[in-house]
Formats: sequence, structure tokens, C-alpha cells
Amino acid sequence: MGQYGVLVDITKCIGCRGCQVACKNWNDLPATKTTFTASRTNPPQMNFNNVTLVNFHTIEKGDKVQWRAVKMQCFHCLEPICFEACFVHAYKKTPEGAVVYFNPEICTGCRYCQLACPFLNIQLKWDEVFSRVRKCDMCYDRLVRGLKPACVATCPTGALKFGERDALLKEARERIAKNPDKYVDHIFGEKEVGGTSWLYISDVPFEELGFRTDVMHESIPKYTWKYISKAPILAVGLPILFAAFYVYTKRRAENEDGGH
Amino acid sequence: MIGANPASNHPIAFRWITKGREQKGSKLIVADPWFTQSAAMADLYVPLRPGTDTAFLNGIMNYAIQNNLFHREYVVAYTNASYIVHPDFKIEDGLFSGFLESGKYDTSTWQYTGEKDPTLQHPNCVFQILKRHLSRYDIKTVSEITGAPADVYEEVCKLYCSTGKPDRVGNAIYCMGLTQHTHGTQNVRALAMLQLLLGNVGLPGGGVNAERGESNVQGACDIGVLFHVLPGYNPVPSAKAHPTWAAYREKTTPSTGYWVNRPKFLVSMLKAWYGEHATGENDFCYDFLPKTAADHSHVSTFQDMTKGVVKGMFAWGQNPVVGGPSAVQAREAMKNLEWLVCVDLFETETAAFWKAPGADPAKIATEVFLLPAACSYEKEGSITNSGRWIQWRWQAVEPPGEARSDLWIADRLFKAIRKEYQENGGVFPDPILKMKWDYGEAECDVVKVALEINGYEVATGAPVQSFTKLADDGSTACGDWLYSGYYNDVHNPPCKRRDNVDPSGLACFHRWAFSWPANRRILYNRCSVDPSGRPWHPERALFRWNGTGWVKNDVPDFNAKLPPVETADKAFIMLPEGQARLFAPGVKDGPVPEHYEPVESPVGNRMSGQQHNPLAVLWKGSIFDKYAPAESADFPYVATTFRLPEHYQTGGVTRNQPYLVELAPEMFVMISKTLAEKLGLKSGDWVRVATARSEFKAKVAVSSLVRPLTVQGRKIEMVCIPWHWGFQGLATGAIGNDLTPAAGDPNTRIPEYKAFLCNVHKV
Repeated sequence: MGQYGVLVDITKCIGCRGCQVACKNWNDLPATKTTFTASRTNPPQMNFNNVTLVNFHTIEKGDKVQWRAVKMQCFHCLEPICFEACFVHAYKKTPEGAVVYFNPEICTGCRYCQLACPFLNIQLKWDEVFSRVRKCDMCYDRLVRGLKPACVATCPTGALKFGERDALLKEARERIAKNPDKYVDHIFGEKEVGGTSWLYISDVPFEELGFRTDVMHESIPKYTWKYISKAPILAVGLPILFAAFYVYTKRRAENEDGGH
Repeated sequence: MIGANPASNHPIAFRWITKGREQKGSKLIVADPWFTQSAAMADLYVPLRPGTDTAFLNGIMNYAIQNNLFHREYVVAYTNASYIVHPDFKIEDGLFSGFLESGKYDTSTWQYTGEKDPTLQHPNCVFQILKRHLSRYDIKTVSEITGAPADVYEEVCKLYCSTGKPDRVGNAIYCMGLTQHTHGTQNVRALAMLQLLLGNVGLPGGGVNAERGESNVQGACDIGVLFHVLPGYNPVPSAKAHPTWAAYREKTTPSTGYWVNRPKFLVSMLKAWYGEHATGENDFCYDFLPKTAADHSHVSTFQDMTKGVVKGMFAWGQNPVVGGPSAVQAREAMKNLEWLVCVDLFETETAAFWKAPGADPAKIATEVFLLPAACSYEKEGSITNSGRWIQWRWQAVEPPGEARSDLWIADRLFKAIRKEYQENGGVFPDPILKMKWDYGEAECDVVKVALEINGYEVATGAPVQSFTKLADDGSTACGDWLYSGYYNDVHNPPCKRRDNVDPSGLACFHRWAFSWPANRRILYNRCSVDPSGRPWHPERALFRWNGTGWVKNDVPDFNAKLPPVETADKAFIMLPEGQARLFAPGVKDGPVPEHYEPVESPVGNRMSGQQHNPLAVLWKGSIFDKYAPAESADFPYVATTFRLPEHYQTGGVTRNQPYLVELAPEMFVMISKTLAEKLGLKSGDWVRVATARSEFKAKVAVSSLVRPLTVQGRKIEMVCIPWHWGFQGLATGAIGNDLTPAAGDPNTRIPEYKAFLCNVHKV
């Protein structure tokens, strides 16, 4: 058996956000308080209680306008940097392909994993100094029981397709080859950071949809580990620093709200 | 796809649209005032100004006729195109002949002479009348009215009219964007006529498909939850026209077409309702049926509250304080109610109208009862989808607390009322005391209700197999003739079937649930083959005449015992003439669709001196009589309402669901960048939106999905308003329908929610 993955065909996503709700429902994550956003993306960014998020993009080109919905979550790298960055081995790349935060008991809350992730797909509680981590685990508890991830199971249009990564990659290539005028000739996740389990195809260039396409095409764990490991002071200092920043900015935001 | 946004509002339906495009290479055209989520999925998107759908569709029909792209053989065989109309029929300056001072039409000149011209050359045949009428809707004119860019509109005409070829088929999808206008009936008729001209009705993949606004609204309509029809679309008796069974029978039963069976359906319904008390001697208790003497549509009912005519109201799974037009005025009217019963999952705005912002509870004497209802997964019963499939749904979980199923509540209510009449009498107790109500003493059995709706033989109690077995002599009982057959086997009722085999490959799925009528999947399916019984295209061979008999892939909508020649002119069996109406003598505001502006419009009518539908229902002299004049300087922008994927209708349920509130927390209105620039607005600013009815405050979303349209040389700006919010629940916000006008279509009374005038100011 090869590793599993998910193929996201952005051209088939109608933006119903059933996946975003299904994720919270299956993982029993609480609703967070949100406010109006002009794009209707809500919450505006992923957070500790929203480990998948559908981002709405309005793309203007001269007289023409296009609108696309892009589901974001952990891409499940083939060689995950978070796994490499974690000095207590709280992470695991499972044989099924899911990158799982496996061992929360031993996590020190150092935030290396989050710093290391080039896609900002790992979430923490910013108001806790040594916070546990939360990220998409591809619904590993479903996977091992032969079920698709909750998001894929709920998708009405087939924009999300679950399967073995190799087969999905082949299908992605076929879809692009069959409709070369429609798709951008790029499978995001095929090569980025050495490959990810989640693959995306699109009719709008990925840079215009909030994807980081400037990442290297080879595995980066070793690079990052090489630098971070040389500075042990960060392990203690950074969490406290970030938590302090968070509390400061939150208070300031509250004060500003109160002034109106 | 016009006036519909299934990507947002019917996401599961969009699954099949996506599949069709992938597997069949279908092209999707979306026409909508703004760039909706469905528009984002389209191969071709064209904008149009709210309220100009008739002109838009008339223009496509004109293009089909002028360029000879219509399906001539189909049109001659299956429509009334060849019928000769009364020589005095005229269309002048937006009015049809016979317009009376009373504001209604005398339709005597709209009638057929009885002659036909299959060559379609006679100057007064339906086809020539239509051709002349539509010739005024050329591309330039339609573009000027609708604001659709001429080049894009022409591309739409060309692409859609390509389905007029016998080997192609086009599917028309519409929703409330087409219906909620003072000319909504004409909009839908125009779409149906376009489909007929192109030969797209009665074929797999074709049709005129309404995306119903609620998951079981089809079922509600079928079973008679409308003010003007009884179950199975039999008219509600009128006190004046139908005082007796003989009068009803005579006036509502045509001499040809399938409705000749109406007496069987109605007698069987009365037998189901009144059982042994309904006999031939007493006209099967016809006298027990309530007769209408006035308009009982939504707005009129609220108007009657102000007059003290309506003293109490059941709002059963309905939230008119958020969902009805001119909701501010509706709340005023409700203050006159003596009592109000709300049956719902949560305390809706309607249940809480007495504590609405600005209301003084001390001055409202209405006694309000709130009965907690079970939600759809907490009860058992059937649900009917837009494709008329009646599907049984099983109970998944017990309802919480004291919540009960609607059936439980209705059963207890009826029994309590009956007890009251038994003990204390009343003015007219018989319709209550003689009603057959035998669904169980303590608990109401939903299967017994289903069996009654399906129908049974009175003597044996055995379920009838289909409505063809119903009789008008009292030997059969049936709650709704259309549903006959859906529960004709107690142990294995068709509505519980779940086998998705599709032997024909035409997506018929005859063994999945039950499709009314008679498990027929495609209506008017005689049209799927040519008059001689040959499929228009081998890939869509729903039927085929093999020389001696019919090869069938669906339940025939024609007499399949006869050879094709005998049914070729009776493809539309529900119509007395047997042929579809490109010219409809019975539609109140005209036999062919003509463009009228909405009641509130930013421009004059380019086509005639009739500014809006001359028969539009305006509740003059009532609290609802609040309309801005055309080209109003006070209200310069066009407003339209819309729905989001995250909230359902009035939000009565979804605004109490934390996950959905997280996704869509706040009310807003959406405007273009150009309007925002003019008014000095940026996203997130508070604005005051005002109409002739009311005003509210909301945040503004500045979006390039909304663009001004050029109409008759002027830039027309739009304000798009969702109507999901209210003052109850976890997420509260302004009520969109506080702004919408109570102006109705003359045929249906549907209000003009989708096109009105407003103004926007920065707060």
C-alpha cells in the first residue's frame, strides 16, 4: 500500500465550506467568536480551533473577475519539517501518509514545529506559554478504520478526492493533460518541499491563491534543523516571547474596542 | 441557470451539475445580477439587471426564431404553435386586447378559433403572433434594458440556442431570482417557452427545473400547503363560483385532458377526510370544505390582521417576521393578534415579535404559545425533492426535552379541538366531529397517515396501486392522488426503496424511492421521441416504437397501448388541448410574456407605456402601501436579496448553530467598488440602507463581485442584501426583508423580493 493523500481540484470547489464544518464536527472543536470579514473567509486565519480553513479569493484581471475557494490545512509533507524540528519526537509521519502530532504528553510547547512549517499550517494557543499543538491529522482515527477524512467525506462536488498519492498524482496529470486550456500546468505538492500528501490543481496560478510557491523543491528538514539546533536558547526564550507579544496585542485590541 | 445560485443554496444539486460537465462535457451558462458562487463555476457568465428576466429570455427566443435555430418539428407536433387565435387579438403598447377599467383582462380575444395551420404561416397562428411579438426583443434592445453586454448576451443566445438541434438538449434551472417579481409567472413562462421552442422539454437532461427554496417545499405544495390549492393541485373552492359540489365539478373539470379525472381525485380525498360520513347523497361532505371569499395570500392575511379579521395565527415552521415582505409592517400587523402559536426548534423572531427592537411589550396583548418541535432527524416521514422523488426518512435520534414531531402536535391539537366540540358544541361542529381521524388513540402512527395519503379501497382497506384505480363513487379513499403508489405496499413501500440501478443509463433510477406521478421520472416524456416514435437522438432513447409496441425506459406519460400516431398530438396530457402553450389564454396578465419594469425601478420601461405589470397586486390603502416611484431620486440604487450557503432561509435554525455562526457571523450588504468610492465607503464601514418601507444599519462589503450595469446609457448600481438575520439567536443583525416591497404577481401573489429601490448612506 502506498501513502494516502488528497487531491484538491480548485476548479470544482463551490465554496460551501462543508469541509470546514465537518472537520470541526468530527474533531469536536469548539466554535470561535468571529466578526464580519469582507471576503467572507471566517475565521480570517487558521487557529487552534480551526485547523482547516476555506479561503475565498476574488481575482481581478482587467474587466474580468474570478472567484475561487481554497481549502487550507496541513499539507502532510512526505518528509515533514515539523517532525524533524521536534526534539522530543511528538510528531510522526505514519505509514498511511498522515503527519500526526502523536505524543502530546511529551511536547514541551517549544513552537519549533510551527516556526519550521513554511506553510504556517500548525496551530497553537497563543495565550498559553507552553501550548500544545493542533494541526490537521488527516483524520487519522478515521483512516485506520478505513474511512476517508471527514472533510473529503462531506465534499458534495468531488473537489476533494481521497486515495493513494501515486494514483492521485496520476489523475491530476491526466486532468491537466485533458484540459490544458483550463488548468495551470502545476500540481502543487508534487515537488514542493520534496512533495506533500495533499495535492492541488487549479485554473488560477497558485501564487494568486495564497500558496507559497517560493519554497524549495527538495526536502528541507535537514537545513532547518541544522540552524535551529545551534541555538538552544530559542527553546526556552521564544515561547515566552511570543506569548508576551500575544497578550500585549490582545490587550491593546481590547482597549481599542472599548474606546468605540 | 437563471435566477438560481445552487452553488450557494443547493450545494448537493451542484454535485450533479459538476458530474454532467465532467462526463458529458456540458457547458454551464449563468445569468445573475452579480458574480455568485455559481457564476464562478460557469463557462459563460452574463450579468443582468434585477427584474429584467422576461426581456432577457424573450431575446433568446427571438434569436432562436430569427436565426431558425428552434426545433421546428417538435414545435409543430408538441406545442400550440399552429393554433389560430381570435382575429381581434392584439398587443398594443404593452397591453393585450381586452384590458378593462377594473385593471383586469377580458380574455375573450385570447382564445383559439379551433383552426390550425401546421405550416405556421397563418398571420394569426400562435407562432406568427409570437414571432411578431418577440421581434421587438433584438440583442441591442435587450442589452439596453438588462445591462447585459451585447457581445456576451449574443454569445449566450448562440450557445443556448445550439440546443435546438435534435441531437442536443438544454437544461434550464431557475429559483427565486426568477419567481419573486410582480411578473414572476411570466418569467417562468418565458423560460418554459424557450425550452419548448428548442425542443428541450420531456427529454433526459432537459426540462424546466425549479430549485425549490426548501428541502421539502415540493412536498408541502403537493399536499396543499398553499392558500389556493387542495392536495394534488385541485383548486380551493370559492364561495361564489363553487357553492355546491355540482358547481365545483362542472367548473373545474375540463372535457379533455387528464383533469377529466378530477372528480375521482376530489371524491377520494373527501372519502379519506370524512370516511363513512361522505356519501353520494350528501355530495361526499363537499359542504364541509372551507370556501374562500377573499384573497388569503400572505400579505392579505397580514393586512386582515390590521382589520381584526384575522385574530389568531399558527406560524408552524415559518418565520414571517424575517421571511415575509415588508417585515416591519408585518410586525405592526401582528400586534393586533389575540393569540399566536409558533411551532419551531427555537424561539424565532416571529415567536418573539412582541419584544422586537422598538416594540413595547406592555402595549402588545397577544398571547404567544411556543411549541418545541422535533427537527427532521428526530422524526419519521417523507420528504419530496425538486425532482418529485418522495423519499422516506427514518428517525435518527430522539428529540430533546419536550420537543415533539409536527405530527404528534397536530394529532394532539385535533383531538383537543374535537373534544371541545364534543363537550361544548359550536356553530358548525360537523366538519370536526365527522372527520375521519384514526391514526391511533394514544400515539399517531405516521404509517397510517402515509397509507391514507396513498389511498385505499374503502371496502377492503387494501392500498390502491395507483391513481388510475381511484373512483368518484366513494369506493376509494385517497389523501393526495399524486402520491398514489408511493406507499402501496405496507411491507415494502416504494418510497423506502434504495436501489440505485440505472439500466437505461438515463439517470431514471426507478427503484430509488418513488417519483410522482406513477413513479414517472420525466414528465411529458412523449416528447422525448418524434411523432412517429423515433428517439430524437439514440443516446437519449427514453422510448422507441418498434413497429408493434413501445420499448420503454420510463413510465410513459401517454397511452402506451396506442401506436405513436394516436398520441402524437397529446404529449401534454394535463392540458385540455394536449399540446404545450407557447400562447397561454389562461394566464391573468397576458398570453405571452412582455417586459415590464419592477414596481420600483430606476428607469422607464423601454418597451411600452406600461411602466410595471398593469395587473401587479399592490395592497393600496393598507399599511403595506409603500412604494417608491419609478426613477426615484430618493432611492437611486437597485436592491436585490440573496442567500448564503451558511444560513438557511430566515436563519431560525442556522443562527442558533455555533459552527455556522462562526462562518457567517454578521449581517452585511454588498456593493460595488464604484459605489463605495462614490459614497466614501470601505469594507466594514456601517451604512444605513433605506427604502420606502423602512431602513436599517449594517456593515458594508465592498466587492468586485458586484458591478454597475449600463442600462439605457446610465450606470445603475446595485445593493445586494442577504435576508438571514434577525434579532433572535446567537447571531443577530438587521432583517433584510424590512426593506422589501409587498407587491405581488397577479397569478401567484409572490412578492417582489428580488428587485426594488434603495438608498445607502454612510453612518
